Amino acid sequence: MIITIDGKACECEKGEFLLQVAKRNGIDIPTLCHHDGLPGQAACRVCLVEVKDGGRSQVTASCVFPVDHEIEVSTNSRKVKEERGMVLALLRMRAPGSEVIANMCEAYGAPKIGRLKPVVDGDKCILCGLCKRACASLGNGAIETLMRGTQKYVGTPYDQPSADCIGCGSCAEVCPTGAIEMKDEKGVRTIWGSEFRLVYCRECGKLIGTEEYMKAAGNTDDLCDDC
Amino acid sequence: MTRTVLVCCGTGCLANGSKAIADKFEALIAEKKADARTECFVKRTGCNGFCENGPLVKIMPDDIIYYKVKLSDVEEIIDTTLIGGKPVERLLYKDDKGRPVTKQEENPFYAPQLKTALRNIGFIDPLKVEDYLAAGGYEGLKKALTMTQDEIIEEVKQSGLRGRGGAGFPTWRKWQTAREQNAEVKYVGCNGDEGDPGAFMDRSVLEGDPHTVLEGLAIAALAVGAEEGFLYIRDEYALAVKNVTAAIKDAEAHGFLGDNVMGSGRKIKFSVVRGGGAFVCGEETALIASVEGKVGEPKPRPPFPAIKGAFGAPTTINNVETLANLPVILRDGGKKFASVGTEGSKGTKVFALVGKVKRTGLVEIPMGVTLRHLIYDIGGGIQGDRPFKAVQTGGPSGGCIPENMLDLPVDFDTLKAKGAMMGSGGMIVMDDRSCMVEVARYYIEFLAEESCGKCTPCREGLRQMLGILTDICEGRGKKGDIELLESIGEMMQDACLCALGKTAANPVLTTIKYFRDEYEAHISGHRCPAGVCTALTSFKVEADKCKGCTMCAKACPVGAVSGEVKKPHKIDPAKCIACGSCREACRFGAIATEGRKGK
Ligand SMILES: Cc1cc2nc3c(=O)[nH]c(=O)nc-3n(C[C@H](O)[C@H](O)[C@H](O)COP(=O)(O)O)c2cc1C
Ligand code: SF4
Ligand code: SF4
Ligand code: SF4
Ligand code: FES
Repeated sequence: MIITIDGKACECEKGEFLLQVAKRNGIDIPTLCHHDGLPGQAACRVCLVEVKDGGRSQVTASCVFPVDHEIEVSTNSRKVKEERGMVLALLRMRAPGSEVIANMCEAYGAPKIGRLKPVVDGDKCILCGLCKRACASLGNGAIETLMRGTQKYVGTPYDQPSADCIGCGSCAEVCPTGAIEMKDEKGVRTIWGSEFRLVYCRECGKLIGTEEYMKAAGNTDDLCDDC
Repeated sequence: MTRTVLVCCGTGCLANGSKAIADKFEALIAEKKADARTECFVKRTGCNGFCENGPLVKIMPDDIIYYKVKLSDVEEIIDTTLIGGKPVERLLYKDDKGRPVTKQEENPFYAPQLKTALRNIGFIDPLKVEDYLAAGGYEGLKKALTMTQDEIIEEVKQSGLRGRGGAGFPTWRKWQTAREQNAEVKYVGCNGDEGDPGAFMDRSVLEGDPHTVLEGLAIAALAVGAEEGFLYIRDEYALAVKNVTAAIKDAEAHGFLGDNVMGSGRKIKFSVVRGGGAFVCGEETALIASVEGKVGEPKPRPPFPAIKGAFGAPTTINNVETLANLPVILRDGGKKFASVGTEGSKGTKVFALVGKVKRTGLVEIPMGVTLRHLIYDIGGGIQGDRPFKAVQTGGPSGGCIPENMLDLPVDFDTLKAKGAMMGSGGMIVMDDRSCMVEVARYYIEFLAEESCGKCTPCREGLRQMLGILTDICEGRGKKGDIELLESIGEMMQDACLCALGKTAANPVLTTIKYFRDEYEAHISGHRCPAGVCTALTSFKVEADKCKGCTMCAKACPVGAVSGEVKKPHKIDPAKCIACGSCREACRFGAIATEGRKGK
């Protein structure tokens, strides 16, 4: 099947997501909450595109839009620019401390709206939920999105150090804005209010992970993959 | 002869002591044995929808209905009506001309109503399957058992039934999609979340006629080819949960549900799932997530639940009222159902009519009736005969419709075209003392708390809109605010993940569209025309209208009003907190509002 994106004919298969097709064809669509290993979050909404289908047109999130038949897609129509710009302007207020967001706002021409108010000064989290899903997909489920609506935030149950956290740092790794604080210092990792002893490869001295991570992975030998 | 005393035991009447009234009827009837010639029974029914006049007591077959019945009235009713066969006049409803009316259908609140979904409520004991059967219950299911899946779907297609839960999606089409799926397991679900503040349509059906919902859901199960179903009911609806649970047990005992439905060899099993009560959990993909034991967050569609729903199986979710119509459609035929309503919206719709109307309650009317009829005839007009200002339809994310649209027919497509929506049937009437900016602010605040908070446009859009609207109401509005609200709102309609966010801006966009001058008055004129926003309102007594009745002075909580009897009163602006109590109290319309420019 052939669809057109920004005037370019793109080969694709039925059921493929628009974002995937665009990427393969070198067409740029910004994303924040999309992760190839954890697809389907569809929360950030910066991947908006306009889909023209017969006489109808809709602005929609490309990361979860499955191609079903031949359509015409625009990633930079006036409507997309306006609405994506507004989403980004809102995100800048949500995460005033995030450089990633500031840069994206710059790159995609998000309007500077002085009337909007920042939520929490210095905050970087955009509540995309990737961290929680990464943690859950590893079977740990140590963090969750808590509360709902505008009160929503990411944290450990009851905001107490979670017994389920193994300090693997996967959450910090997937976070698109670097919002999760993880500190490795003097052989100790601090994350989500817990401390973990770090294990280094006895041959090359490379960091392997935390003790809890080793245990969870069934790894008893303090040798890294390379040694 | 036999007489039946129907005591309304809906949540509203129960709160006003109807249980004790029913008990007393039973006790006294047993004691007095009424009369040798009259045998009396007491029935506890579901909600009659006119709760503000409860407890309601009906006597059949005389067809006499009493309002605001007190425990102390029971004996007189027994003596005068049950034994004497005459009405107790002082307990009758007085119509708009002050005449007492005996029959329920003579009451102007009930007269224009046409009941399909609510047909049994108020007449049957919800806990007695025999009552439901006597009213023609389970006939629709019986018929459906003799039909093929396609025949059932065709019948529903003929009826023109569209979902009553909000979106108005054709019921048959959803079923057709699920029916076409080749899957071993399929589910049917009943959406009893009803999260709109002030709505109680679905609660009333679940409590007052649970078997009709079960029958409707069983018909859905046959149509799509499911053997299992769930009824998702919000936990606060304790009586609904109890009655539905009991009804399932009863229906199974009588073979209407279970392993061998009415001897057909078919299996249909239902269970009740108690919902945590978040508004967003009424959205069907969030509801399904909740049923699966996950956080109640909506999911992107496609895949549609009818293809991939609960636990990955094809699932159709239908609203309580939608389901309550189905037994009638199957029993009497889709054509008959389609003879009521408009071209695109067939049948009747239940509304919770509330706000500043004289008569409030639950009403069921044919689709296509005008808003004016609903508000002025059934609702009796605006309280205190004040001017009508707007009616908010469709729940929190519905819209506000102004006076010049009162002659519009109430149906799915008309309301949507005006930026409002049918929603599940909330209808809040507002008079000239409602501030439309404050109304918008109130709904946005509700939605900001009740959305799931997963996607950016909805969560952050609502947050910023709430900030701006609060500023406007508190006198900090700025030039450009209206346009900014519009562009956030329009973006949300496109960019949000689920229908909550896509419609959440409706209250803001419709109030701007129809009451823009009111926003401007707040922002540029520093004045709240309705006299609601305290930072933008000051009250003063118009000396020529004031009769010196002292009511305002008595009503003022801070003693800001002074004056002598029969002489014009005065409000001390330094003390006044702009609560408006004086204005409510004045019967001569002598208290006027103006802005607060000095601030
Ligand atoms: C935020 C939100 C809340 C909803 N709440 C309800 C509800 O309380 N009850 C309901 O039946 N449908 C509700 N719906 C509509 C459902 O998603 C769904 O469309 C409906 O249950 C389908 O049934 P129907 O086709 O019979 O109307 C809600 C939708 C949204 C977006
Ligand atoms: S570090 Fe803890 S919270 Fe983060 S992904 Fe690993 S287990 Fe989960
Ligand atoms: S911490 Fe990072 S990954 Fe987690 S929700 Fe926030 S932005 Fe997303
Ligand atoms: S639109 Fe609102 S309710 Fe719907 S998924 Fe997004 S945040 Fe949640
Ligand atoms: S990348 Fe599509 S919604 Fe975030």
